[in-house]
Amino acid sequence: MQNGKNGTLVEVRDLAKTFKGKNGKDVAAVKGVSLDIRQGEIFSLLGPNGAGKTTTISMISGLLAPTRGDARIGGYSITRQGIDAKKLIGVVPQEIALYPTLTARQNLEFFGRMYSMGGAELTKRVDEVLDFIDLTDRQHDKIETFSGGMKRRVNIGVGLLHKPRLLYMDEPTVGIDPQNRRRVLDTVKRLQSEQGMTVLYTSHLMEEVQEISDRIAIIDHGQIIAGGTLGELIQQIGEEDRIFLKVGAAAISEAQLAQLRRSVEGVTKATHDRREIKGEDDAVVDVDGVITVLAKRGRKALPPLLQAAEEADITVLSVEVREPDLEAVFLHLTGRALRD
Amino acid sequence: MSKILNIAWKELYITYTDRSLLLVMIVTPLALATIIGSAFSGMVGGGGNDIPVQNIPTAIVNLDAPTEFNGQTFSMGQTLVDLFTPSGDAAQDADNVLLALTDAAILSDAEAARAGVDDGTYSAAIIIPANFSQSLTVTQDNLSLNVAPVEVYTSRAAPVSASIIKAVTENIVSQFVTGGVTVAATIGELVERAQEDVGFGLQFAVGSANWQPDFAPAFTPDSQPITISQQTVSRQVATFNPLVAFGAAQALFFMIFTAIQSANSLLYERRDGTLQRLIASPTSRLTILLGKLLGALANCVVQVALLFFFLNIVGIVLSGRMQIIWGDNLLLVAAVIFAGSLAACGIGAVVTAIARTPEQVNIVGGLIAMFFGLFSGAFFDLRSLGDLAILGRATPNYWAVDAFTQLSLGQTAITTNLLVLLVIGAVTFVIGLGLFERRLNV
Ligand SMILES: Nc1ncnc2c1ncn2[C@@H]1O[C@H](COP(=O)(O)OP(=O)(O)O)[C@@H](O)[C@H]1O
Ligand SMILES: [Mg+2]
Repeated sequence: MQNGKNGTLVEVRDLAKTFKGKNGKDVAAVKGVSLDIRQGEIFSLLGPNGAGKTTTISMISGLLAPTRGDARIGGYSITRQGIDAKKLIGVVPQEIALYPTLTARQNLEFFGRMYSMGGAELTKRVDEVLDFIDLTDRQHDKIETFSGGMKRRVNIGVGLLHKPRLLYMDEPTVGIDPQNRRRVLDTVKRLQSEQGMTVLYTSHLMEEVQEISDRIAIIDHGQIIAGGTLGELIQQIGEEDRIFLKVGAAAISEAQLAQLRRSVEGVTKATHDRREIKGEDDAVVDVDGVITVLAKRGRKALPPLLQAAEEADITVLSVEVREPDLEAVFLHLTGRALRD
Repeated sequence: MSKILNIAWKELYITYTDRSLLLVMIVTPLALATIIGSAFSGMVGGGGNDIPVQNIPTAIVNLDAPTEFNGQTFSMGQTLVDLFTPSGDAAQDADNVLLALTDAAILSDAEAARAGVDDGTYSAAIIIPANFSQSLTVTQDNLSLNVAPVEVYTSRAAPVSASIIKAVTENIVSQFVTGGVTVAATIGELVERAQEDVGFGLQFAVGSANWQPDFAPAFTPDSQPITISQQTVSRQVATFNPLVAFGAAQALFFMIFTAIQSANSLLYERRDGTLQRLIASPTSRLTILLGKLLGALANCVVQVALLFFFLNIVGIVLSGRMQIIWGDNLLLVAAVIFAGSLAACGIGAVVTAIARTPEQVNIVGGLIAMFFGLFSGAFFDLRSLGDLAILGRATPNYWAVDAFTQLSLGQTAITTNLLVLLVIGAVTFVIGLGLFERRLNV
């Protein structure tokens, strides 16, 4: 098996997919994505819903034929040497993809045979995987009797059966409780540390991406808008802290915001957002106003900022300082919050 | 290949471990066939006689001209007619199966007989050709028999009755040829018959003297004595059992559902994401499709085989007699089950490949199964459909049920049926595979 240069396991080049929409309009879901994923790293694709994460994963796992571009897995082209490429890949789909009336063990055995495993090798490997996902005691129960978290674990287990060099995990924590989410994240980290597995992880949740990833690509509207390690990404936006000043229902004028910007050193941006809190029959019962200030070294800027606020006749109800994170990066790059 | 089997086995396992599915696939058709079947035999009833069908309106036209042989006149056409329309004591014989089975009318005009079949007066018309006796006559110069075929013109509106008449007629004629023909089983009956029937008496008299040696080389290579035996005919007919026709029709009807549902499971697997999982494995799309379709085929074959097995048990219980109701040729029965299942699965594959959602398949598949069921006579007598009845021939059900009925009557001339089923199966399989492979690329 050949590897790309510098231990690159996955090379994605200008991958694009355009779907034929229902009303005849084309939907450009992925518009020319290029990535390199290195051997042994956890690489995350972070982006909001509809950004094109699943479409990208589908193309590089050979489910969808790309409209343009190609990807090489361990040197094998996914479009021209699909079967060879697929042998290296384990897939954990976004939704639970198991046969509900088969037992956990039967599911694992069935999919194992699809990877040409059999006999004692398969039995041993299924035992190992069951142990890894901690379901040995429930192996003979049907999937339909399992809890959501247990199904997730089997869903992951199927992807691990043939000891793939590369594991795709598409939003594996969506729709599960915090405890099981923790478990999934720990599993991903264990796969990397214990088995040297390369993982391509997708999520729209920046906290978990921040926690587990070696490198991150941010995807929006089908395009990679930034990439690198967490530190590199934050550097790109100039390491600004965000300071949130809660101001309640008070009206804030552009002049007041300008005064904040002018009078405190290091402040690059100050914006005001009002969020109406509606009660029954849609009547506005309260208004929540927040001034977001971007500042280099936010903690230092805080005292003069509060003073300036007082001078500008702004009543601050509470204060929060947030150090730069992926949320800030995304906001900086797109002007939108990741969760929107 | 082992991956195809892996998928197919998974299909079979999932299907046959689903209790609610088994209720629909096995228990329901079995119950329906048993109820309809036994109701039907009850109606016919009569002294433990298990001939279920009786008084099939049949026209007989004898165009045969008697032939001279060894200075005697033979009228084999008339012999055939006499079998269906006995006179004297024979006409009162309660055990005369042919008599009970048919309600034969002798006509002189073949066209009138065919028209009678067409307009529903008769289920079948037996038309004996002009040179029938002559073609059965073997001389020292002409040892090769070239029997002029007796035409059995059948009604497509009454496929079961018609195929019985066809089977019985072919059986009798074949006995003429192999030399196993007479009018009674025993010498006593033969003599009795000879006394009643002058023509036959003559044949018999001559036959006992010098017929046998002359005919022996051609008719009976082993020089068996020629015995004209209703016994054989009777045995054949007695094995006809309503469970065969109705059971086979019900089995086929429910099997179509299984076929379409099994093919449809591909769309459900796509919705559930397990299909994507299969495609993401190092397995070609063709392998996956073949596995799924082989699984569908296995589901159908096992279902029909199980139904036939249980129907046979029902048949044994109802008749109180150890028997195989599907006839002696189980290999051909298996071949028809296979071919019928293949056709059904191919149709299921095409429907599924064309439909957008699994729900659409359920609706369209249900309609198709209904159509197939109705037009193959699973629910009512096709005569009420008139000319529309021919639509039945477009259904795999018709060809399979017809084949099963014939096989149960000891007839093995079902090549056409097998061919039709295999062609339907092969064509739809290939179309289904092609359409599906393209769809999996999206
Ligand atoms: N089969 C499809 N047909 C048409 N549009 C699609 C299809 N699959 C995805 N899309 C569209 O492509 C875009 C990207 O979708 P997806 O890759 O699922 O995003 P993500 O996984 O990041 O949430 C969305 O706008 C989605 O509506
Ligand atoms: Mg997605």
